Amino acid sequence: MNNSSASVALAAHLALLSSISFGGFPSVLPDVHNFVAANGWVTDKEFANFFAVSQVMPGPNMILMMSLIGLKLGGVPGAIASALATFGPPCVMYYTAFRLWDRFRDMPWQRIARRGLAPLTIGLVIAGGYVMARAADTGWPSVVVTAAAVGLMLATRLSPLWILIAGGAAGGLGLL
Amino acid sequence: MTQAVGVKRAEERVALAALFVSFLKVSLLGFGGGLVWARRVVVDQQRWLDDHEFAEILTLCQLMPGPNIVGITLCVGSRLRGPIGAIAAVAGFILIPWTVGLALGGVCLRYAHLAVLQNILGGLSAAAAGLMIATGIRLLLPHRSRRTALLFAALAFAGMALTKLPLLFVLLGLAPASIAVAGIASARAP
Repeated sequence: MNNSSASVALAAHLALLSSISFGGFPSVLPDVHNFVAANGWVTDKEFANFFAVSQVMPGPNMILMMSLIGLKLGGVPGAIASALATFGPPCVMYYTAFRLWDRFRDMPWQRIARRGLAPLTIGLVIAGGYVMARAADTGWPSVVVTAAAVGLMLATRLSPLWILIAGGAAGGLGLL
Repeated sequence: MTQAVGVKRAEERVALAALFVSFLKVSLLGFGGGLVWARRVVVDQQRWLDDHEFAEILTLCQLMPGPNIVGITLCVGSRLRGPIGAIAAVAGFILIPWTVGLALGGVCLRYAHLAVLQNILGGLSAAAAGLMIATGIRLLLPHRSRRTALLFAALAFAGMALTKLPLLFVLLGLAPASIAVAGIASARAP
């Protein structure tokens, strides 16, 4: 498969995923990972690198991460296609829903749907973290870093930025 | 309500540039949780919406697929200035941070083969994965008293992380059951 058809296939897949990404884009990370790995487009290490880079940048992280994959497959046009596929379809849905909002705001099914979907999206977010931890796993020290990040995030009010910096520093010092 | 908003709009139209700049700010500051900054800018600083209106938009966005923070941006822009406002706000949120991020990220990844950089990225991504797991756990805590919610969260996790099924199958398989269970539970509740 040549570059441009790979970027088109990626964009089409991302457009589908973004349309069902309840709970935000982290919940579709495992699917994206399977898709690009199965096609042999991106290695585990590259995928982890894209994730790491996008997480340290401010702004829309997941749009950026998908764009970095697109950039690798099809250059700047590939990056733009990935970005549009990631936020375009949801934007159309948000806009439509916002217009219809007044009509269905008080319906009880809405609360029930939310209660039903919430646990699924939460499970998917944790799955996203798990899959990324596996992709970044280079041995027990990196598992320790992941576990420490979980613990610090849950137990302290430390800014996530410091936790990321600490992880990067541990890696930079050759501890992992 | 539509009327009230209309009046407000006629009295003091929010400038498109103000929407662009404000959401650019949310995007750049919103590191590790854009929601906090979105509320701060929209409700506290600009006073474009009150907390009630903001919470309503948040609820709507949480029910929809996609990056919730982009949805909030779009809805606030749309509430204040209609379609063109939505475009200005989303452009502010995405355009500049995305361009800078892609350029910096692209350069950084070009040198990713360097051992030091590879090590740093490895550490970063291990930590970032931990943050994501922690965020999920935090979201799960309010549901811990609902045993069925925990079960469905576990099933979604297993379906995605362990079986490598496509997301569409996992959602189509689990969502109807999970919503049905939530419906039954709420019908039983007084």
